[in-house]
Amino acid sequence: MPNYDIIIVGAGHNGLTAAATLAKAGKRVLVLEKRPVVGGACVGDGNAPGFAPFLGGMLRPDIIRTLGLERYGLQPAPAKAAFTSLLPGSDTLTLDPDATQAAESIRRFSEKDAARWPDFVAFMGKAAAFLDASYRTIIPPLPKFDLTEGIPLAQLGLKLRGMGRRDMLNIIRALPMTAQELTEEWFESDVVRAAVASLGIHGVTLGVMSAGTGFNLIHNWLNRGGMAQPNPGHTGEIASALAQAAKALGVEIRTSAEVTRIRVERETVRGVTLASGEEISAPVVLSNADPKRTLLGLVGAPELPPTFVWQSRNIKMRGSVAKLRITLATPAANLIRLSAPQSAPASATFVIAPSLRYLEKAYDTAKYGQVSENPYLEITVPTANTLDVHFQFAPYSLKQSTWDLERETLHQLTLDTLSEYIPTLHASRITIHSLTPLDLEQTYGLTEGDLNHGQIMLDQFFFMRPIPGCADHTTPIDGLYLCGSGVHAGGGVSGASGRNAARKVLKG
Amino acid sequence: MTLHTYDAIIIGGGHNGLINAAYLARAGKKVIVLERRPIVGGAAVTEEIFPGFHFTEFSYVVSLLRPEIIRELELPRHGLKILPLPSTFTPMENGDYLAAWDDHDLTRRELYRHSPKDAEAYDEYARVMVRMAMAVKPLISLVPPDPSSLSIRDLMGLLKVGEYAASLSQKDLYQLAKLVTQSSADLLDEWFETDALKGTKSASGIIGTFLGPRSPGTAYVLLHHYMGEIDGAFRAWGFAKNGSGGVTASIASAARALGVKIRTQSPVKQVTVKNGRAVGVALENGDEFHAKVVVSAADPKRTFLQFVEPKYFPDEFVTQIRNFRTRGSSGKLNIALSELPNFTALPGDGPLHRGAISISPSIDYIERAYDDAKYGQVSRRPYIDMIIPSMIDPDMAPPGQHVMSCFVQYVPYDVEGGWTDEKKDQFAEHVIATIEQYAPNFRRAIIGKQVITPVDIERIAGITGGNIFHGELLLHQLFFLRPAPQWADFRTPLPGYYLAASGAHPGGGVMGAAGKLAAMEILKDWK
Repeated sequence: MPNYDIIIVGAGHNGLTAAATLAKAGKRVLVLEKRPVVGGACVGDGNAPGFAPFLGGMLRPDIIRTLGLERYGLQPAPAKAAFTSLLPGSDTLTLDPDATQAAESIRRFSEKDAARWPDFVAFMGKAAAFLDASYRTIIPPLPKFDLTEGIPLAQLGLKLRGMGRRDMLNIIRALPMTAQELTEEWFESDVVRAAVASLGIHGVTLGVMSAGTGFNLIHNWLNRGGMAQPNPGHTGEIASALAQAAKALGVEIRTSAEVTRIRVERETVRGVTLASGEEISAPVVLSNADPKRTLLGLVGAPELPPTFVWQSRNIKMRGSVAKLRITLATPAANLIRLSAPQSAPASATFVIAPSLRYLEKAYDTAKYGQVSENPYLEITVPTANTLDVHFQFAPYSLKQSTWDLERETLHQLTLDTLSEYIPTLHASRITIHSLTPLDLEQTYGLTEGDLNHGQIMLDQFFFMRPIPGCADHTTPIDGLYLCGSGVHAGGGVSGASGRNAARKVLKG
Repeated sequence: MTLHTYDAIIIGGGHNGLINAAYLARAGKKVIVLERRPIVGGAAVTEEIFPGFHFTEFSYVVSLLRPEIIRELELPRHGLKILPLPSTFTPMENGDYLAAWDDHDLTRRELYRHSPKDAEAYDEYARVMVRMAMAVKPLISLVPPDPSSLSIRDLMGLLKVGEYAASLSQKDLYQLAKLVTQSSADLLDEWFETDALKGTKSASGIIGTFLGPRSPGTAYVLLHHYMGEIDGAFRAWGFAKNGSGGVTASIASAARALGVKIRTQSPVKQVTVKNGRAVGVALENGDEFHAKVVVSAADPKRTFLQFVEPKYFPDEFVTQIRNFRTRGSSGKLNIALSELPNFTALPGDGPLHRGAISISPSIDYIERAYDDAKYGQVSRRPYIDMIIPSMIDPDMAPPGQHVMSCFVQYVPYDVEGGWTDEKKDQFAEHVIATIEQYAPNFRRAIIGKQVITPVDIERIAGITGGNIFHGELLLHQLFFLRPAPQWADFRTPLPGYYLAASGAHPGGGVMGAAGKLAAMEILKDWK
């Protein structure tokens, strides 16, 4: 039986990024994946190719370059697409990646907002650049850290100061703001505000009036490189490129190999046990599973300090996103253009986010465990005759029902809402597939269906993600590291957490 | 037209203005306080609205007033007397109640009745919150340094904050960071399971704030209200003899003893600016006052957008002040009663009437109250915090009769369609109907009522938006961002002009910290 330096639990994009990075540094790495395919939430289930929990995404450009993923077909900067807000009465607002063109569309709603758009894009670019720098920094346990850990932190501080007094203060201010407050400071048109603010609630169980959605807005802006979803319908290619690169670097990947236990002896990791009963040993284990599953499920509370168990239980995983795929008899672009003649042909991301109030109301129901009757939807068009829909809010914990009973309701609400904006949709629909938060948990192992392995909110940010003291990927178990989205830098398909975890392991 | 000359002019005779004046006078300055109304006190006043019935019109409890201010200004000698407010009583929707009495063992037994787990967790929770409040204390009494500045003063300040953070244990630092960023609902869900307990505790997190208990940042507001519980001679929330007006009367008396001149019925029209410096003020009646220093104890919007022409400030600063969030979210019902409300959950006159009575049966209840307000409606089933001052201080009402103060949330300033008499009646009706549900004799016992909406707070106390903290305690409006980035040290872009009220660091409540800290900064600048 071969000896491994490192075992990685889970072949999601972060696990594969970590694996490839570690193998590149000469480590013998084994990746164990529960499902028959690699890619985690970037890959669908075979029934509907390309239909995955992540409907779009992009790895950080430095990861693509360092791992040579261009060779496997990935581009560091995917073609930029427009972002269109579908409005009642066949109206649309199209935020083109080209700021001048976007301003052209905004002008129909407000001259003032059109004039401010380029400044807003510039500000968001700076805020995202700062966030990116913070996501490249491994955050040591505060307040006591040694000099080598302190230097990157000091560099991050300098980077922020280097942005100039005004931008520095404005970025700090924007993070704890609500998406509503942030967009209200920039724009006067409710249509423009809501379209932008939708990014602030994307993927989290918060409303546009919840503090900290300013941070999520910047987070999503960074991951997308702007407003629109990059690579819609092609996140599977990200996973396959990573897997190929990892294999070429000598990583061994075993699929249909479910880890049921991370073995620990005297607070030190020993290896893993598979569902088959097989035991594999290694001095270092990285878990790409979410922190809750890793710590409370795979390691188990008895192996951990009681306070830490309490903290782990309190990590907020509150999935409220459902995903749907609708196949159509007619090309989607035709349908949308028919009902929204103003939308730019290159538009690849559409949202139903007509007003701030609409978005907040959608969230209200989630607070009380109900599915939004008028949901916030983000729609991408992966292939000519398909629509992928990101549905919010569909809370994991339903108060008066179960997801087995609510799937039909979910389909109906989606179709009803879409039909209001795309009236010809009903006639053209052939099939509809869905992933409820429960499916996300059962198929993809995402606790409570939380796509980001933990809510992107202020108290789970920076040195507090996932738990204060563990933002540097370490755990109370020697040799056990977290490399998934639940750690600082994670959330979305960026690979930043996997990259950082590998760096941390190599330093240790 | 008459002309008067002083060292310092304070605009506004609220508690912060008076405290600021007292500290400047204590340093030997010749100080005058100009108050718009016929009485001093600002939002901390007691007025006889119906003959014999004294209402604590706005602010109704004390606890946060800094103990060093009480000591240094010798306020007890000037009549400050805090009477304990020993208990909190929460009637529940199922007919039961939850109470925290002034006896620890009794409270524990009471909690145990609802949940043994919560009874166990309660003491530890209280310990953690007290420790956290202690940990924040040094920041409260610090002039916030500007992290973007390279001046010696700011760099030294930053160093102080850094040293402070390093002095905290890792556990405390983490807990504090979580507290500052969390929602009060999430915080309380981590500790407790009893709805009424969580509801009542979470209410501290929304007072004066236009956020629901599920919004991140509300745990900090909750902590802000905890700071009083540990400080000084009184450990819990208290009620001042003669109401909140008694607090400001004692400060005014202390200020006068130090030589401060207080002029009421003197509304300021404008700050006089000469050669780019504030040199005095002009009253609405034309009187002029000259001074080396002008201090505003009004809210930031009045201070910067009304008293001074915007041309004296950078455009960006004016925008920032315009963007300062001052949405009023609370109202009050002050009621004259012929008899005590009789609560079905615990009938008869009893100790509950000497403490706070809270309508906060669950977090969801308060969150739903917020849902109404965020779309411009008064909460149909509001959160209500009641006290009966006449039970604590019998001088407040005629013998056998009572005054009752009901603090109500949410009552939006920007109510949809604007405030009308009809809407005001509707608001009062929501409150009365809610209380009646728990105390059926309540409606019958009402002899008179005073209804106060945020618009009334703005009109009477002169606070923009009627926000009781002069600006919400939101994370992006705290510390070095309060009231605007780069101007959190009580100075303003106009030399000689200072801000010394709740809209500055560390924020609202009858705390007095802003008034004192500003005085210290003004004296530093004195040449």
